[in-house]
Amino acid sequence: MSVEPTQPKVREESAGLMKYSAENLVPFGPIHPALKEPEYFKLILEGERIVQVIPRIGYVHRGLEKAAETRPWVQNMYMFERTCGICSFVHSLCYGQAVEGLTIYEVPRRAKFIRLIIAEMERIHSHLLWVGLMGHWAGFETLFMWVWRDREIVLDLVEAISGNRVHKSMNAFVGVRRDMPEGMEDRIVERMKFLVDRARYYKEIIDTEETMLERTEKVGKLSQETAEKLCAVGPMARYVGLQKDVRLNDPYAAYDEVPFDIIIRNEADVHALLQLRLDELVASANMISYAVQHLPEGPIRVKIPPIIPAGEHATHCEAPRGEIFYYVKSGGGRTPERVKVRTPTLANLPVALEILKGQTIADVPIVLTAIDPCFGCMDRMSFLDTETNRQWTWSGEELRQYGINHYFPERAKK
Amino acid sequence: MTVTEILEAIIFPGVLFTIAMGFLFDWLDRKTAARMQGRIGPKITGPSGILQPLADFLKLLFKEEIIPSHADKVIFLFAPALYFLAPLLSMLFIPIIALTPTAGFDFDLLVILFLLAFAAFVVAVLSYSSASSFTTIATGRLVLQYVSYEIPLVLAIVTAAIYSRSLSVEGIVGSQTGLWNVFVMPFAFVVYVIALMAELEKPPFDIPSAKTEIVAGWLTEFSGRALAFLKLTKEVGYVFGAALAVSLFLGGPLGPQMGAAIPAALQYFIYFMVKLLAVGFLIFVLKTALARVKIAQATELFWKVLTPVSLAQLALVLILIQGGIPLAA
Amino acid sequence: MPRRKTGAAIPEMFRTLIEKPGTQVYPYEKVNLPQRFRGKLDIDPAKCTGCQVCAMVCPASVITMVDFGTRKVGDRVLPVKRPVFELATCIFCGECVDNCAFNALEMTKQFELATPHKEDLVMKKALAR
Repeated sequence: MSVEPTQPKVREESAGLMKYSAENLVPFGPIHPALKEPEYFKLILEGERIVQVIPRIGYVHRGLEKAAETRPWVQNMYMFERTCGICSFVHSLCYGQAVEGLTIYEVPRRAKFIRLIIAEMERIHSHLLWVGLMGHWAGFETLFMWVWRDREIVLDLVEAISGNRVHKSMNAFVGVRRDMPEGMEDRIVERMKFLVDRARYYKEIIDTEETMLERTEKVGKLSQETAEKLCAVGPMARYVGLQKDVRLNDPYAAYDEVPFDIIIRNEADVHALLQLRLDELVASANMISYAVQHLPEGPIRVKIPPIIPAGEHATHCEAPRGEIFYYVKSGGGRTPERVKVRTPTLANLPVALEILKGQTIADVPIVLTAIDPCFGCMDRMSFLDTETNRQWTWSGEELRQYGINHYFPERAKK
Repeated sequence: MTVTEILEAIIFPGVLFTIAMGFLFDWLDRKTAARMQGRIGPKITGPSGILQPLADFLKLLFKEEIIPSHADKVIFLFAPALYFLAPLLSMLFIPIIALTPTAGFDFDLLVILFLLAFAAFVVAVLSYSSASSFTTIATGRLVLQYVSYEIPLVLAIVTAAIYSRSLSVEGIVGSQTGLWNVFVMPFAFVVYVIALMAELEKPPFDIPSAKTEIVAGWLTEFSGRALAFLKLTKEVGYVFGAALAVSLFLGGPLGPQMGAAIPAALQYFIYFMVKLLAVGFLIFVLKTALARVKIAQATELFWKVLTPVSLAQLALVLILIQGGIPLAA
Repeated sequence: MPRRKTGAAIPEMFRTLIEKPGTQVYPYEKVNLPQRFRGKLDIDPAKCTGCQVCAMVCPASVITMVDFGTRKVGDRVLPVKRPVFELATCIFCGECVDNCAFNALEMTKQFELATPHKEDLVMKKALAR
């Protein structure tokens, strides 16, 4: 199929749906104490109520999908691990699973259990971090400090198993790189019991502390139809009552062998999200204890040649924030032909813009952090004309045409 | 005015002592909050970090001052000094080392009330003069919070004044030799402490300078010397608020005799400091234990709960006076 | 529905007040590192044979092979190479350690690598023999 190099067709969308003046516009970001990563949100207010939010993303776009096309398969594993700090293991797990789907090899059973253990530890870490942050945005510094002190327990365990607190580098193609150390079982079970007690105490505080309840109850409401229409994933779908969990719907790693409960909440506000994530923490701790005590014997890794057969494969996993999706296309060489990543924050961002409507400015950090945003994972590139304030995006084909026109102008038709 | 009186006014227990107490309260605040949260707090500067607030103040004095282009330069640079004077001047009316303060007179409670209102007005003007989108929101919140806490605060103070039949702090302290006021009007004390937390913008009422929502609220655009003095004023205001609570409700420097060997001034000083630190500690604990509420909820609390409570307390005290409860004065 | 109260965290606050704080006062206290900690790379020059596998698997292109002499194999003269490590770029993944067939590489527990001179982080230990 030959494509004529022509001028690309540019699809334009307007930057906003309503007129606003400078008086009722509050710029939120890109640098703001409430945002861990820079993204720009234009809040359009009426008094203290928000009427609309216009986002502008692309501040931390790194071009990882393009960089993956020039690196060998194993090096991409390390690069995608560094997409995000908090969900790093799930990124490398999902990429590994996508590539393993192109090969003929099966993951050994012990490796699946170890993957589950590390993934759940990452989930505990991420949820503890988030609960602490909610305390911080609500002005409740004490909860923030206590929760982050307990987060150190999980980080110490992860460091003992993998050697590093954040970038665990445990995944390899078809298996895991390191086995569980000797004698960790009792320590892990005891620490998980301790974490479950602490989680129950934090749930009690969040349920009874009057000022915290005033900040989180009835804030960030979302209806079930809107959640389905906007394709919310992860806890944002589960807090309105939808049964969306990849571990349940499409089990990967060892999730079909380790029993767990899916946590659903029906009152759709930030208070329910807090309860939901803490319940998930308890469920994860129980899963880890079960998996550590029922770890099967066997090999942890199958070494494969560095050439991956041609084909395409897509998988999804349940990151702490939602459903993460990887698509990999191989041409039969040493480097991939195309890798596409869709992280849960990108799916949840329209949900965030929707639940911000009608809130006051005091609620903005809480509601924006309720989706557990990780803008580093999610970023995409878009075009912005600052003079006319027009924003637009290009499809892949248009981007390719533009590249051809730019580098081979003699082939471009005027 | 003898030399002793001038020295008293400037060094101890006047201006320098108040500033040093402000730093001490800041350090205690940070240390107790840190220990209650499971961490250490200031540690390196001075033994156990006690010089940290002084180090922060000196550091800010050396920083560059950046003034936004739309701001009113005169107000921006001079109003912090006016704001700094209010609590500092009011401290001179509190008896610390004797039953008479450094510079008291018959109606100084009214002057204190005026200075409280004046300080809030200066803050509103300051906040409005740095014209950026965050500070405009902060000004709105600030004025709304001021309107909310002012009435319960004044009612609580006035209740103590009416009971003691005196409009000077010295008189109120003097009338508590028999029974401290807090036992007669406990609700007024509680209302005063809560309103004080709103005045000082401590959690749960630190809405106008909410760090995580509107960058730094009305403090956003200040830097350098102005910021140093604004922060110092907050600390001195804290000391003054606690000192006023001690004088009006807890009997000031009064206390049972400790023995003839200890000079009277030292006795008064020790009792005053113990009570001051107790009130300060109460506010530290409350500040660490609560989240920040929204401005609508704070206004509701003050207008729907605290104002009726303080009015009821005032009515109760008036009934007590009519019923002829004897006073010690 | 649990009872709502203000100051629900106060009992725990007083308990934490008398406990030991969770802070590790880092430069003044020694840090306990687990056994698997991945710190700075170290090479044993006696075991390295110059097989170049580490340079091929490194994801961060830290290892360059430099000439170290020649050797005779039959009637051919083949070059002998040794690795030079630019540790400033290292991502501490441990791929080189896992893939070295001669166990010449190891990750130490040293993590305080900040230095004002970039030359300090170039490891030429394998060239010493």
